[in-house]
Amino acid sequence: MLGWVRRAIEDAEAVARAQSGDLDAYAALVARYTLRAHRAAFLLGAGEESDDVVQEAFVKAFRHLPRFRTGDPFGPWLLRIVANETLNLTRSRRRRAALALRLRAAEPADTAADGPVDKVLAAERRTRLVAAMNALPDRERQVLVCRYFLDLSEAETAQVLGWPLGSVKSRTWRALNRLRGQLVPGQQNRVPSG
Amino acid sequence: MADRTGWLDEVESELRAVSRELEVPPARDLTAAVRQRLEGQAVRRHYRPALRTGALRRRLAWRAALAVAAALLTVLIATPQGRAVIIHVFRFAGVELRQGPGPARSPGSSASLPGERQTPLDKARHQASFPVLVPTALGQPGEVMVSDGGRVVSLIYPRTPHGLVRLDEFAGHLDQIFFEKFVHLADVTEVEVNGTEGLWIKGPHELMYVTRDGAPAIASARLTTGNTLIWGTRQVALRLEGDLSKTAALAIANSAH
Repeated sequence: MLGWVRRAIEDAEAVARAQSGDLDAYAALVARYTLRAHRAAFLLGAGEESDDVVQEAFVKAFRHLPRFRTGDPFGPWLLRIVANETLNLTRSRRRRAALALRLRAAEPADTAADGPVDKVLAAERRTRLVAAMNALPDRERQVLVCRYFLDLSEAETAQVLGWPLGSVKSRTWRALNRLRGQLVPGQQNRVPSG
Repeated sequence: MADRTGWLDEVESELRAVSRELEVPPARDLTAAVRQRLEGQAVRRHYRPALRTGALRRRLAWRAALAVAAALLTVLIATPQGRAVIIHVFRFAGVELRQGPGPARSPGSSASLPGERQTPLDKARHQASFPVLVPTALGQPGEVMVSDGGRVVSLIYPRTPHGLVRLDEFAGHLDQIFFEKFVHLADVTEVEVNGTEGLWIKGPHELMYVTRDGAPAIASARLTTGNTLIWGTRQVALRLEGDLSKTAALAIANSAH
């Protein structure tokens, strides 16, 4: 918690200096937020263009700095620009394939037939969950990406996606309900065998 | 109830576990590239210290776009076979302007924005993610409409000295697209509203709403009435439509607080 407060103060300082045209201060912000921004762009569907999207977002963010309200957290503000850039890109490309989320290739030990049974089952469940995420309607997938894969609060998610808070809550609930059936086979919706 | 929280916790913790195992390629270090692009802007700002970087950049971009388009149009007039293929796109305050023919329109004035419904002004303010501005030159609106889950708030003035006037407000200041307009470039001019840039579009043109997913809402396509002024503040973008003179429109825009 203290770390978060310190980061917020450091950000506020860097933003204030960048607002007065200090490019070194802005470079510090770029370095600090590149990873988060890149993860957001990639998981929201920018695919191999994620680096370009993030670069564009940083340039736009600098231009928009005069509109940044002093005291607001920089992260969600930046991620909103990243999200907009990403959604504009996927809209113009209409490439669903690039949006698919994937698990990292598992370590050989994890998939070995003689591995612990519960580990194999857990891996199987996660594969099924990711497939179910990919099958969700766009907005429901976006809201889950923000909440659980980018670790944003409901309010931050509302800011990043530009939705009212109520929509964030209702879409999260709907999406989690859909995933429920995939996670607990036999108890909810019937799941295709396999 | 206990059962419900049980499954919820399970799905949530499973999602967090998945989060750690997702495949995300490594990010490129962008510090140098971003800096290089910004230094280009800083140099230009140095020559024109009176303008903010963003405003200057947009203004230059817009002028350059107009100049290029004008040159292309000249070429097109000389070669009529090129006329059908040209589509130019400009973005300004959440509005995408296209030079070209619009889509098939809904009949008459039945076209409305998705999910549009009448709402008291104070409720509309709660539902919108941006501050709703009311132009004192027009006073309290006759009707307030909220569309697409609070994404657009429209103030309707059924009887003004200029007839029916409509003011659409949306969070178009952050590069997201809300409306597409199909215009003739010759009808578009740059104006100043409250010290920032605006666009004045003379005469009716085709207008279409673009949803959050970027899909044009075909049922929303319609022909605008009168003239249109588009401008933005730090927190909201606005589109004023009605049978207004440029002077009247600018007076209304300048009174929006």
